[in-house]
Amino acid sequence: MKFFLTTILVTVFFGGIFAQQKTVTSVKKMVVIPAGMYEPFFITKANKPLRVASFKMDETAVTNAEFLEFTKQNPKWRRSKVNRLFADSNYLRHWQSDTVIGIAHKNIYNSPVVNVSWFAAQAYCKWKGKRLPTVAEWEFAGNGKPLNSKYKSLTDFILEWYRKPNPPVLPNIKSTYKNQYNLFDMHGLVWEWTFNFNSFISKGDSRGSTADEQKAFCAAGSLDVKDRTDYAGFLRFSYRGSLKGNYCIANLGFRCAKDLK
Amino acid sequence: MKKIITGILFSALIVSCSQNSGSSAKEVKAAIPGATELKQPIPQESIFQLKDSFETQDDKPFTLAMLQGKPTVVGMIFTHCTYACPRLTADIQHIAKSLKEDRDKVNFVLVSFDAARDTAARLKEFAENMHLDKNWILLHGDEDAVRTLSVLLGVQFEKDANGDFSHSNLVSLLDKQGVFQYQKEGLEADHAETINRLKKLMAQN
Repeated sequence: MKFFLTTILVTVFFGGIFAQQKTVTSVKKMVVIPAGMYEPFFITKANKPLRVASFKMDETAVTNAEFLEFTKQNPKWRRSKVNRLFADSNYLRHWQSDTVIGIAHKNIYNSPVVNVSWFAAQAYCKWKGKRLPTVAEWEFAGNGKPLNSKYKSLTDFILEWYRKPNPPVLPNIKSTYKNQYNLFDMHGLVWEWTFNFNSFISKGDSRGSTADEQKAFCAAGSLDVKDRTDYAGFLRFSYRGSLKGNYCIANLGFRCAKDLK
Repeated sequence: MKKIITGILFSALIVSCSQNSGSSAKEVKAAIPGATELKQPIPQESIFQLKDSFETQDDKPFTLAMLQGKPTVVGMIFTHCTYACPRLTADIQHIAKSLKEDRDKVNFVLVSFDAARDTAARLKEFAENMHLDKNWILLHGDEDAVRTLSVLLGVQFEKDANGDFSHSNLVSLLDKQGVFQYQKEGLEADHAETINRLKKLMAQN
């Protein structure tokens, strides 16, 4: 009896190791982003430049193949099972089924996963022992200079991307440019979720800092932006401000971040 | 070999079954004194689906599902806030006062944005200064839990370099099962509709 028990336990133990090995094969490369100052896009009396501590960030957005592994191991995040509170009806709508991306979409395995909600992105990063980057971290990292872009300025490059309609098939990761921190596709492929995307303080489409707004928001009176020519920044911040946590959108993906140990 | 495995699996099954029946027996016992306390399953769309743990002003662990059974009025604040938050709290107090004795049938909840500074002791002090009675539950939690709740309630907030917060001022209503029902934005807002809806929620089963 004892012998058999041991055998079973050993089998279970090694089974565990094998299962772990499966996930180890999809380890994602992270790069270290050095500490620096981030000047918030919106300037208020209290919004002084923030120090962003050094942190690690996935070098690319999370892909369909990587997210597939997550849905396989976490049934409650499958398309047919997910709670509508946490993901709207567009969740993973581009996949063939719960755990099949589909033969017709063979070329998107290595493309960023889109049609995922903030809650799903949060859950994925947690599952990986990571977290979503903050707006400050994402913006700081995203402002990194392109290394291989033909455009003179990052803003020109971004505006060129915004100008184009979404491609029918989303290109693979690493198909745009690499920046000074060795991050790929920070702009030019998909928009990305951030941990505190709902920190954009604005009311509807109101453009002024009215007395009414002052009543509605703490410290909203002196709202202004750091660079009025940063049209790309305007778009990015208003896009974030229009999102809700359960929204799943065809050009919105994510990548994870992690504190340095 | 097969028999033994089956045996082990079977006994594991029995253990898990008996554990289950044990806990459900306890639940039934607890529910007997007041039949109304029988808890219904939490609906999918309920904010009580959020499993994160918070702490109360009395330093007790708290999950949102513990609000089940009464409708809830909830606001998000931080106690170092000098302008908006005392006013938002006063707005909710006004709602409470308008219910007179019936206010005991409602949860009044304030959740702090300030994971760093709003400790249980600090929240208790705030509750005392604002004369908040036993129907009020003041919660603080880690950054993840607070952010997740803010996303669910549609409350926008951002921490600034001084550790203070910019935030939208919203009063939200949840029904007895934690399903979001109504929201009013602004300070010193007219809460006649909020009170009207709250009374309807109180009358529901």
